[in-house]
Amino acid sequence: MKISVLQENLAHGLSIVSRAVSSRSTLPVLANVLIATDEGRLRLSATNLELGITCWIGAKIQEEGSTTVPARTFTELVSTLTDKQVDMNLNVRTQTLNVRCGASNTDLKCIDAQEFPPMPVPDLSDGIQINVADLKEMIQQVAFAASTDDARPILTGVQVSLNGNRITLSAADGFRLSVRHAELSSAVPNPVSAVIPARALVELSRIATDGEQVVTMILPPGRSQVIFRTRDTELVSQLIDGVFPDLVQLIPKSYRTRALLSTASFLKACKQAEIFAREGSRIARLNVQAGGEMQPGTVEITGQSEETGHNQTVIDASVEGSSQMIAFNVRFLREALDVIKTPNVALETNSDTSPGVLRPVGEESFVHVIMPMHVSN
Amino acid sequence: MPIQTLPQEVASQIAAGEVVERPASVVKELLENSLDAGASFISVKVEEAGKSLIEVVDDGAGIPAGELHLAVARHATSKLRSAEDLFHISTLGFRGEALASITSVSRTTITSRTKDAASATRLRIEGGIVGEASAVGAPPGTVVRVEDLFYNVPARLKFLKSDVTEKRQIDILATRYALAYPHVRLHLIQDGKPTLQTSGNGNQREILAALYGADIARQMLEVYAQEEGLGLRGFISPVALTRSNRREITLFVNGRPVQDTALTAALLQAYHTLLMVGRYPLAALFLSLPAEEVDVNVHPTKAEVRFRESGKIFSFFTRSVRKALMAALPAPGMDGFSSEWGQPKWRNLDRDSAQPTWSEPLRRQPAVDWGEENAPPPEPPGEAPVQEAQAPVFQQPRVPSLAAPILRLVGQIASAYLVAEGPDGLYLVDQHAAHERVLYEKMMAQHLDAAGQPGKIPAQALLQPALVELPAAAARLVTEQLSLLEHLGFEVEPFGPGAFLVRAVPVLLSGMDAGAALRVLVEDFEEDETPLQSELEARVIARVCKRAAVKAGQALSADEQRALLHDLEACQSPRTCPHGRPTMIHLSVDLLERQFGRRGAR
Ligand SMILES: Nc1ncnc2c1ncn2[C@@H]1O[C@H](COP(=O)(O)OP(=O)(O)OP(=O)(O)O)[C@@H](O)[C@H]1O
Ligand SMILES: [Mg+2]
Repeated sequence: MKISVLQENLAHGLSIVSRAVSSRSTLPVLANVLIATDEGRLRLSATNLELGITCWIGAKIQEEGSTTVPARTFTELVSTLTDKQVDMNLNVRTQTLNVRCGASNTDLKCIDAQEFPPMPVPDLSDGIQINVADLKEMIQQVAFAASTDDARPILTGVQVSLNGNRITLSAADGFRLSVRHAELSSAVPNPVSAVIPARALVELSRIATDGEQVVTMILPPGRSQVIFRTRDTELVSQLIDGVFPDLVQLIPKSYRTRALLSTASFLKACKQAEIFAREGSRIARLNVQAGGEMQPGTVEITGQSEETGHNQTVIDASVEGSSQMIAFNVRFLREALDVIKTPNVALETNSDTSPGVLRPVGEESFVHVIMPMHVSN
Repeated sequence: MPIQTLPQEVASQIAAGEVVERPASVVKELLENSLDAGASFISVKVEEAGKSLIEVVDDGAGIPAGELHLAVARHATSKLRSAEDLFHISTLGFRGEALASITSVSRTTITSRTKDAASATRLRIEGGIVGEASAVGAPPGTVVRVEDLFYNVPARLKFLKSDVTEKRQIDILATRYALAYPHVRLHLIQDGKPTLQTSGNGNQREILAALYGADIARQMLEVYAQEEGLGLRGFISPVALTRSNRREITLFVNGRPVQDTALTAALLQAYHTLLMVGRYPLAALFLSLPAEEVDVNVHPTKAEVRFRESGKIFSFFTRSVRKALMAALPAPGMDGFSSEWGQPKWRNLDRDSAQPTWSEPLRRQPAVDWGEENAPPPEPPGEAPVQEAQAPVFQQPRVPSLAAPILRLVGQIASAYLVAEGPDGLYLVDQHAAHERVLYEKMMAQHLDAAGQPGKIPAQALLQPALVELPAAAARLVTEQLSLLEHLGFEVEPFGPGAFLVRAVPVLLSGMDAGAALRVLVEDFEEDETPLQSELEARVIARVCKRAAVKAGQALSADEQRALLHDLEACQSPRTCPHGRPTMIHLSVDLLERQFGRRGAR
């Protein structure tokens, strides 16, 4: 293998794939990045067997070939190279990669590409096209609600369902759930659904740059894998097996109290309350007060701790229905409000022991449910 | 049957049943009489577990010849004059009942001589029938020879435990008295074999070995505390040394053995959260207080006492024990690595026990006025704190305080331990144990409201109730303890036989699977365990925390590591987890220097 690439492209490609490098593995080759010539470009790939990321960069290829380079050493080296062009030449027999850039000349010990786990070659034709910006927003609104505890692995995933023109992402960690819908540009022939590790989706939203219009999602039949492909990158993830709970059925259909308030004010109040609730059990107490004839309703948010003190914010709100006191984990509130994009948000409740619902006002596509905390007064 | 007055012998046999229920009770009464008589040497001879012979010989004051027949009469005593005297009893005996009872159910010979009498007087009593007194030659002192115990009450004989048990009872009883009276030379001979021989030199640790065995005796920690007329002395086990029951807890109040559940609770309180659940300490503790502060006349065999100001006494008791315990509970050092932790420290205490503080007050007659006269001389006013600072526990140098040192994080190793620097060297902190302790104290704090009353721990409701199925014993426990569980933040609802729906979990546990959280709480409580409610709460909370704590093998961010150390510093008992394992190991700068050969052994 004999190739030349731009230092800038190589550094960028390595930064993308290095997230899939396995830091602790008994398989030494997993600490390496595969570099291979691929139809006129250079392919960089890393995998930890659950998640694999590939990135293609432009290259001048004089001689085809492939090898695997120690990820950390290579990334560190490339980041310090100062000249524009990097020339790489592999000695196949010794698996030594010679890297030259300006005055710098390095020989890197590599591992034969044969040892690298084969990456799937997807059939792009039955892929589903999803708008990148939409998908990134959906992931941001849903993935955080997935569980981080391995006790119920299915909940560490995000369910992605496709039905006709509609794509739905949903996730829950046992105390809260997020569901987000979006429209597809073209309908899928058959409804499909897969549970994808939340972590893989978060990586996807990181590597799928806004410059790209669409991402293609492929669920190769019978492989329990999902592949997301853009022009220059590809992400492969194992799916999570199991039955995903029917979250939609858990979303309350009605409410007794509904408060409409400014998302930004609510978020700010939660952030302040959290400073004080952090020490204790992260309890934010909400007091939703119905307004009268002349004055508006209010939502009072309180955070308190033995050690640090007590914080309270009162926000004007238009309140429909009866007054309501309810307590939530303030982190749950803050994380949900953080991903609500509309200027106003609706908080719907039925009682202090039943779920609270957050909906962006004027945007039907997203709903978030948080279970309350039961606290003695 | 018509009503009729019982014949004298029957009446006294019934009365005797109260005082003398087994051979060991006879030994106890006779020992107490000899101690009351100021004996410096007491020899007890027992044959056939006391059924054929119990003979107690002492060199005490003796009984004047003219009073001997009174000694065996019911309600005859030299130790009490008026009802008034009952409120400051400083002798072990006061009822004038023991000899009357013993002699009514045995064939007894009493031989006694006062110091200035020319000869001894002997009296034989058979089944309560007093014979003629005769003069015999004998040294000053008293010999009470009890033969054929219960010969005239066959029902009693039938209910005696096996000889092995009775013999053991006598051994334990004599040893406990020996420990309480280390300046009295005490010999016990059972069936011709000496089973206990104390020297009377005041060394309690020697006697402790007879009670617990040499190895354990060596590890026992010394307790010594004085406060406003109250005194507590004795020995307790370090936290690493425990038993599965309370049987090896010996408590004496003013020289009198007692079985006081409240005092025992005060002792356990001192070990609170330092011992694994279901484990109990060993202890031999001697409480002394002014005679008028304690009512000894509340139980037929004097096994119970009543304190006038019980709250004050229990808190003194707990505090003193806790202090001794904490003084010996530093983060275990390097030399504790190979042995069981906590162990290496006894040597310090042993050395200290040679100090006069412990043995001095006991050199005089123990039981009599132990609380008053023999208390160390009153401190000059204004010097109290200094005096306290001289108690042995404070004299040990380098005994770290109960609080955690201020720790500066160095890093994490093996994803399990935090390395930290303290003012006096290096600390290794077990992240799991430390986090358990932090959670435990947080949860206990949440569990008590501002007024110190048990309140409800905040609960996080679940999106979907979790279905948990439990084995029968665990299911029963859950069913019985639904309200306790609710207090602790578990909202659980029965859902058919052995099945439950968990609707909410304590906030601290919201990071984990609800079903698993409930299961671990109840699954391995032993079948026959019926812990006290308060104990159960603490146990359940300890379990909750064990589950919720970060595991070994979990990588923590630097911020998380720092937060953990910070939270640990804020704990009340930062050095152990709620189950009693250490949270930290201390390697002093001194030790490091020696290990690196920078400095020779000191
Ligand atoms: N070993 C002894 N040496 C000297 N005097 C004794 C001895 N044993 C008994 N006495 C005398 O006999 C009396 C009666 O003894 P007894 O044990 O029956 O009653 P007590 O000790 O006074 O009260 P209690 O029934 O509470 O033991 C005692 O008060 C004491 O004067
Ligand atoms: Mg007596």
